Amino acid sequence: METMKMMLVDDEERFLSTTQKLLTRKGYDVITAGSGAEALEKLRMENVHVVILDVKMPGMDGIATLKQIKNQFPMVEVIMLTGHATVDSAVEGLKSGATDYLMKPTDIDDLIAKAEDAFHNRQKIEGRIRVAQARSAMKSPRQILEGSE
Amino acid sequence: MPYQPGHPNGQNHHYASLRRILLTSSIIGPLIPFVLVLIIGYTYFKNAQETSTVLHMKRIAFDHGQMIDSFLRERKADLTCIADIHAFDSLRRPEFLQATLTLLQKTSNAFLDLGVFDQDGLHVAYVGPYQLTGRNYSDADWFKAVLKNGFYISDVFLGYRRIPHFIIALTREEAGRNWVLRATIDTDLFNQLVKQVKIGETGEAYLLNAQGLFQTERRGESQLMEKDPETLIYPSPESGVRTFVEKDAAGLPYLFATTWLTEKKWLLVVRQEKRDAFAALRKASILILITTLLGGAVILVSAFILTNRIIRRMEEMDAEREQLGEQLVRAARLAELGEMAAGFAHEINNPLQIIKAEKSLIDNIMADMKEKGTLTPSEDLDEIEDSMRQINTQIDRCAEITQAILKFGRKSEPVIRDVDLRRFIPEILAMVSKKAAVHGISVQEQIHADTPPIHGDPAQLQQVLLNLLNNAIDAVLARHGTEGGELVVGTEPSEGGLVKLFVKDNGCGIRPENLKKIFSPFFTTKPVGKGTGLGLAVCYGIVDRMGGAMEVNSAEGMGTVFTLRLPAAS
Repeated sequence: METMKMMLVDDEERFLSTTQKLLTRKGYDVITAGSGAEALEKLRMENVHVVILDVKMPGMDGIATLKQIKNQFPMVEVIMLTGHATVDSAVEGLKSGATDYLMKPTDIDDLIAKAEDAFHNRQKIEGRIRVAQARSAMKSPRQILEGSE
Repeated sequence: MPYQPGHPNGQNHHYASLRRILLTSSIIGPLIPFVLVLIIGYTYFKNAQETSTVLHMKRIAFDHGQMIDSFLRERKADLTCIADIHAFDSLRRPEFLQATLTLLQKTSNAFLDLGVFDQDGLHVAYVGPYQLTGRNYSDADWFKAVLKNGFYISDVFLGYRRIPHFIIALTREEAGRNWVLRATIDTDLFNQLVKQVKIGETGEAYLLNAQGLFQTERRGESQLMEKDPETLIYPSPESGVRTFVEKDAAGLPYLFATTWLTEKKWLLVVRQEKRDAFAALRKASILILITTLLGGAVILVSAFILTNRIIRRMEEMDAEREQLGEQLVRAARLAELGEMAAGFAHEINNPLQIIKAEKSLIDNIMADMKEKGTLTPSEDLDEIEDSMRQINTQIDRCAEITQAILKFGRKSEPVIRDVDLRRFIPEILAMVSKKAAVHGISVQEQIHADTPPIHGDPAQLQQVLLNLLNNAIDAVLARHGTEGGELVVGTEPSEGGLVKLFVKDNGCGIRPENLKKIFSPFFTTKPVGKGTGLGLAVCYGIVDRMGGAMEVNSAEGMGTVFTLRLPAAS
């Protein structure tokens, strides 16, 4: 059973460092990225399970980053961090493949709970993929994902 | 006057010139053809009337002249007949002459007497009312004229009898000697004959001789054989009738028709006072004047009324347009404000997020320190922990405000459906019924059975109604505490495609000075921390986007009614 590895993506430096400290103290493996581009960069290098992604960012915003992540790393779970619950961006985020969303200002315990859920969800899917791969190693994970809905 | 955001303010200085232009054109427009028609009609009528009057006059003068001529011709023929039949010797006998006169008078009673003269002017025989036998007329004008011409009609003269009369005389030759037969014409009868013209009230006819002396009487004080006081310009001695207008001696204008007789150089004058001759024309003129005045008055009055009506309508329309414009500006401002506020809220969320994270970190570190024993429980520690909890509370409060602002500024697509208020309102009331019951507020429904479904987003409508209901409950509590509160929610069938929905309370009401502000964002009368001041602003925005309208009526200390007008589902 692998441990959950998280990545925080936000343009607020202090938020990143503080939350990272907190999560580290709680025993999670956390890396941070200050922008969408940096996040994609780091995803290529490291195996991240869950990304906590801020919607409002200068340059490449949360939604665009999300689309890129789901496109390049379909197995990564993304939780959106949004201004408020009913804003369209959250809905759009969910439509674009986000697992869940959190409302700012969010509580650290909520964040951990949602990340855990997403991580377990992912593990379930990976389990199913492994079974499917054992049946036929020809299908790409994406096709299986679509087929398993 | 219910207050609705965006109220008109009239400006009517440019209406004055508009009114002038309208008034002028609406008066002049109809007046020109009206006056033209009158002028043309009058001109033609006047010409026709004058022509026909003059023609009529001419005709009378002509006919009358013919008649007098024929009278003279007949008398001449009578005498000619006598002279041709009888010889001088028989006629000079008085009995025979008397018999002849009697015979003549049977033909025409215009013969007054009859006389026979020899060549030397001696009156040899006479029958009639005077004693003229034996007088000599050799010097008389008429005698000279008759010998010269063989026939003569005299002007009116006095003669031996000193009475105005005129005579007809002719001469016959017998055995180398001339003799003369003379008859006097009854002046009264001849007068009557000439005067018997009847035209209007002032029409009359009379004869003048070549010197302008009266041969017949004229109305008024004129005497026979007097000079006509009027300086009549005599027409040239041709046949035919001449007409003209001339003032008489008294200065009254008369219409004249004159013609020369053929049997005698007498001028027949037919005349009528001008105002009498043209009486019909004068009547018509008066009528036309009255018509002009009345018609003009009607045109003026209707122009005024019409102009006033048009201007009033324009003012109303302008006011409406202004109101619409203001509402539009308001809505745009509200939207702008919403966007700005949403931007602020988003920006504030970030620092809040950081504070929250920092606080969590502090909590975490302190928990760890307690575990390790580096932080021992003490009063100071309790104080710190209490402060930390307070920080949490205040962050949550901030979060609530930013959420409310974001809700207010959001531009999400509403889900439009047909909503049946008859079912929808009781559902909403069920949500607040418990709260109302706890506070001793009686909630009444006055939902009209014929309320049509409306067209809108149920979720948004729910938000609006809950907001209004909560406000009402707060207002009732502020005034009555926990008993005696009343809340009425009702609907009315649509008028003009809008369904009326009202929320009425008997709460503390709204101050008049606040009535205009309650829909403004961030305006609240609640104590700090109790209200964001965004509720009604959001409601207003929602209803506006639905295509409805929202207004409020309130009496301070009596209660408040919020009225929504929502578009009915077609």
